[in-house]
Amino acid sequence: MEEWRFIDFSLVDIRDMMAMDEAILKSDEGNTFFFWTPKKSIILGFFQKAQVELNISQCEGYTITRRISGGGIAFSDDRCRQINYGVVGTIDNELFPMDIIESYKQICGVLIDTLIHYNLNAAFRPINDVVVDNKKISGNAQTRWEGKLLQNGTLLLDFDIEEMLRISNIPKEKFMDKKIASIREGLTWLDRELGEQHDMEEIKNVMKKKFEERFSIRLKTGSLSEKEIKLTNSLLPKYYSHVWVYR
Amino acid sequence: MEIKTPQGIHKSKGGLIRSFVTIEKGMIKEISISGDFFLFPEEAFFKIVEELKGIKAKREDVEQKIKEIYTRENIQSPGTTPFDFAESIMKALEG
Repeated sequence: MEEWRFIDFSLVDIRDMMAMDEAILKSDEGNTFFFWTPKKSIILGFFQKAQVELNISQCEGYTITRRISGGGIAFSDDRCRQINYGVVGTIDNELFPMDIIESYKQICGVLIDTLIHYNLNAAFRPINDVVVDNKKISGNAQTRWEGKLLQNGTLLLDFDIEEMLRISNIPKEKFMDKKIASIREGLTWLDRELGEQHDMEEIKNVMKKKFEERFSIRLKTGSLSEKEIKLTNSLLPKYYSHVWVYR
Repeated sequence: MEIKTPQGIHKSKGGLIRSFVTIEKGMIKEISISGDFFLFPEEAFFKIVEELKGIKAKREDVEQKIKEIYTRENIQSPGTTPFDFAESIMKALEG
């Protein structure tokens, strides 16, 4: 059986993680699946302006950076109960479809299979969400580079909606076509759905297994190559820079 | 005389598009767009913003220009079209 690399970066500074994320996409170490949990932070989508999307005066204590993929803010409070994942794969029109929405659907299938394992009514909501009973539990973002894709996403285990509303500047238009009155009705998280806290490592193991099943491969724990570490180091200044974050 | 518009917000199927425009003598002078949409290749987005400067602040002109850039740069933006960007910009222009 084919083996793909697996890395668990655990609890990370999001600027370091975004540099490693880009380095994995732009190196050539083969298909890779990885996890991390962000420290208290906000990640802006590629096309978002901090001054427009955030209440910057309320963001003290948050590390803010930007990622190379589009989509919306990824917010993590200091409870740190979020599983974030990354997938780097060669677009082969089979495991990783050329069609953008199909490729989201394929990778989001790992999250859906995981949630179904916990007896939840999970589904894909195009373009890039996973929902439980029509409430968003996972946001995902993809970019592509030289025949490969990088998809990042989050599975919320716990989430503080009020805190997110405090630090962000989300207009009501955002929710108007989702048949929900407000963000409060449109989001959910695993602890709430299950009525209890499951161990994060246990959930990650389920996700890993579902990933292996979906792609018919075996995940082998590895680490960044020397080339990836070098590239990461050269990318770090960008993710720490004011120019990149507040452009 | 320069006129800076309030925010124009339009929700496409692919995300929210928030536009801010400055007009001078009926032409777009400055423009900035923020949003949670997806657009590939990402760098082509800057060409849209840059090339809209100097364009007549009219829907047809704006949408035509964006369509042109989409074709030239091979842009894909799932759930978002040149019409959606033009709509957000027009909402800014119309206040």
